[in-house]
Amino acid sequence: MSRVFVTGIGIISPLGDTLSLNHTALKKGICGISTLQLINSNFAGKLPVGEIKTETQTFKEKLKITETGYTRNSLLALHAFIDAINDSKLSNEDITAYNTALIGANSVGGMCLTDELYKDANSKSQGSEYLSSYDGGSVTLAIQERYGMRGIINTINTACSSSANSIMYGARLIQNGLATRAIVGGSDSLAKYTINGFNSLYILSDEICRPFDSERKGLNLAEGAAFLVLESEEIVGNKKVYAELTGYCNANDAFHPSSISENADGPFLAMQGALRKANLQPNQIDFINTHGTATENNDEAESKAMLRLFEKVPPFASTKSNIGHTLGAAGAIEAVYSILNLTEQEIYKSLNYKNPIQTTGLVPVTAYTKMTINHVLSNSFGFGGNCSSLIFSKA
Amino acid sequence: MFYIHQTVCVSAQKTNGLIDLDDIQPIKDNKLQAIEPNYDAIPPAMYRRMGRAVRLASGAALPLLNTLTFNGIVIGTANGGLEDCIKFLNQIVDYNEGKLTPTNFVQSTTNAIASQLAFFSSNKGYNNTHVHRGLAFENAALDVAMMLNEFPDNSYLLGGVDEISAYQYNIESLAGSYKKESISSAEDLYNSKTTGSIPGDGCTMFAVNKQKTGATAKLKAIGTIHTDKVEEVTQYLTNFINKNLGESSLSLFLSGENGDSRHLPYYSACQNIVPNIAVERFKHLCGEYATASAFALWLACHKIQHNNLKNVLIYNNFRGKQHSFMLVENA
Amino acid sequence: METATLKQQLKEQIIQFLNLTTFKPEDIKDDQPLFGEGLGLDSIDSLELIALLDRNYGIKINDPKEGRKILVDVNTMVAYIQQHRTK
Repeated sequence: MSRVFVTGIGIISPLGDTLSLNHTALKKGICGISTLQLINSNFAGKLPVGEIKTETQTFKEKLKITETGYTRNSLLALHAFIDAINDSKLSNEDITAYNTALIGANSVGGMCLTDELYKDANSKSQGSEYLSSYDGGSVTLAIQERYGMRGIINTINTACSSSANSIMYGARLIQNGLATRAIVGGSDSLAKYTINGFNSLYILSDEICRPFDSERKGLNLAEGAAFLVLESEEIVGNKKVYAELTGYCNANDAFHPSSISENADGPFLAMQGALRKANLQPNQIDFINTHGTATENNDEAESKAMLRLFEKVPPFASTKSNIGHTLGAAGAIEAVYSILNLTEQEIYKSLNYKNPIQTTGLVPVTAYTKMTINHVLSNSFGFGGNCSSLIFSKA
Repeated sequence: MFYIHQTVCVSAQKTNGLIDLDDIQPIKDNKLQAIEPNYDAIPPAMYRRMGRAVRLASGAALPLLNTLTFNGIVIGTANGGLEDCIKFLNQIVDYNEGKLTPTNFVQSTTNAIASQLAFFSSNKGYNNTHVHRGLAFENAALDVAMMLNEFPDNSYLLGGVDEISAYQYNIESLAGSYKKESISSAEDLYNSKTTGSIPGDGCTMFAVNKQKTGATAKLKAIGTIHTDKVEEVTQYLTNFINKNLGESSLSLFLSGENGDSRHLPYYSACQNIVPNIAVERFKHLCGEYATASAFALWLACHKIQHNNLKNVLIYNNFRGKQHSFMLVENA
Repeated sequence: METATLKQQLKEQIIQFLNLTTFKPEDIKDDQPLFGEGLGLDSIDSLELIALLDRNYGIKINDPKEGRKILVDVNTMVAYIQQHRTK
């Protein structure tokens, strides 16, 4: 099976709309979480979220959108997609080739347009311009149509692990000979829908989130997008290569719709399977980018899974403390952060941590550190028990 | 690619339990809603929370999950539990973002279907949900084909499911997806010169692996293309046939024609690529929905087995933009 | 409202909120535990019941852990409603 390399990166997050802005902010330990402003909601002015403070209309103008039906989710995805293809120096011919795949992922689709969807679904309108923009597929289809892409096009939704699975699917298309290049990633925008959904489950924190802290109070929702250009070793040539995707695994916890089991079987199996795929021993993992949402359930379960798998748990951190939880985009955004760990040979501190969780005693990285890093494991776990882990290695 | 063993098809027709495709079930109120399967095997504590899509999928999958062992579950669904989604949305508006009940929210995530099936069977293996609208099922099938290439001894549960709810109907009606005139028969549907089709829903589950012994049929190849240009679709089909069929002949062309005048040119042009081949249509049986191709794959398997056909080529397109070809062969 | 009437009404509301379609109010005993071995409800149901208390009785519970102390059985729920209802 062919080796799979990352040759392009595009990212937009609460830390900035370029890779370099994200890098600088991580290095400085900046937190991009702030009070909700841009959504017309009772939570505005109160709830801490990872919000990109750019109005949707401004994105439309910047990206010169003339098509109708573009949602904020599609705009974030398109922004990251454009940066990724430019970074990988792909020509129009490369992008429209039959062996170039596009695999997107998101969990809210166009449901960020709560008011429009409410009217359209309840027949209280003559039909908005977004009738074909509510499903998850619409986000990927917007990019496909804009570029006239002809290869395998797909959209995955496994909740909070969606874009870890789109990265995995793209890599497998390459390794199964169904594509030589796959542009993979995910996006999600903040939505009244998800804010109220997570609120109804009592897992939103009213303070800035504190991953792996004993006093953590829940997660902060966020928005963003990231895309990676994956290329097979056969076509990569002399191109700049950020990292190699060496391991991946998807497993299900098969326990509960919205929480992880006591033994954390799903997270354990995902991490173990990724190591097996990469042909690595646990002690070869230099750093773990955890899922680390800061919910009571996730952080304890993830810690237990790490303790089960690793004799000595490697340094780990949660970038959710910098940006919050971007749901369907999290797997891809954190893949980018994991790749930065490799290219820069450094790890970034987990913010807002004070005391360890009593039952596990694990302490995340609390200071920016330069160190040798060959392999980074990145975790993404979602509702419905959908757990996925990726391993990126130094190219 | 892989062999198809047991299947369960929940549709508007008598495709589940005692199969009788000669007794065609009528189109009611311009819709073809699936006949709900027996739900006795679903624990009441779980059943009470299920929306239509999860219910249909559970009813279809449980007979397979209870008798076979799978290494993973892969589902294609464009919308999952959209009804729950709008119910939750309505709560947000009606209760002004106050205290809302979480069940609709939890059930509305599209992966609730594949994960519910994993809970039923304590299946901790590969679990994925493809939501790419009209190609959600094809991408799920391709996923399984890759899994079986990577793990040839494994078996997977592959499914396609979508529900039609009042909300979905409202949105799609506004978008002009459905016919306004009354349609009550296949003739009405296919002779219609207007735009739009008739909505349907359903769920089809396939137990698949690499073992030829005992198989019903073989899915030989899948091809997908996104375009609105007829010539690009026919060019793709020509290449698909050259690559996967070679010199052998086709027994049947199963066409996804749906009575929508906007989509007819694609079906006619593809039919012309394979002239003098028997053509059958299936949307008068299952209606139009994003994962109707899963129904078509079931029908192809059924026809191969019962009419002793050598092979079937399925062509389907969704909204004239997402096109798929599946070549199914006698095992 | 008399306690017996309130109990009956609450049972009907529980059945409706949790979609316990196979249950009738008389199937739920006043002292039958709602969670675990009793009615077999789970953590998501407890959040549903908190929403029930809010919508039907104007009772605000902000910490689900606090909620579980009230949501023991119909008796404990009724006692709490009688003391704290605002509508």
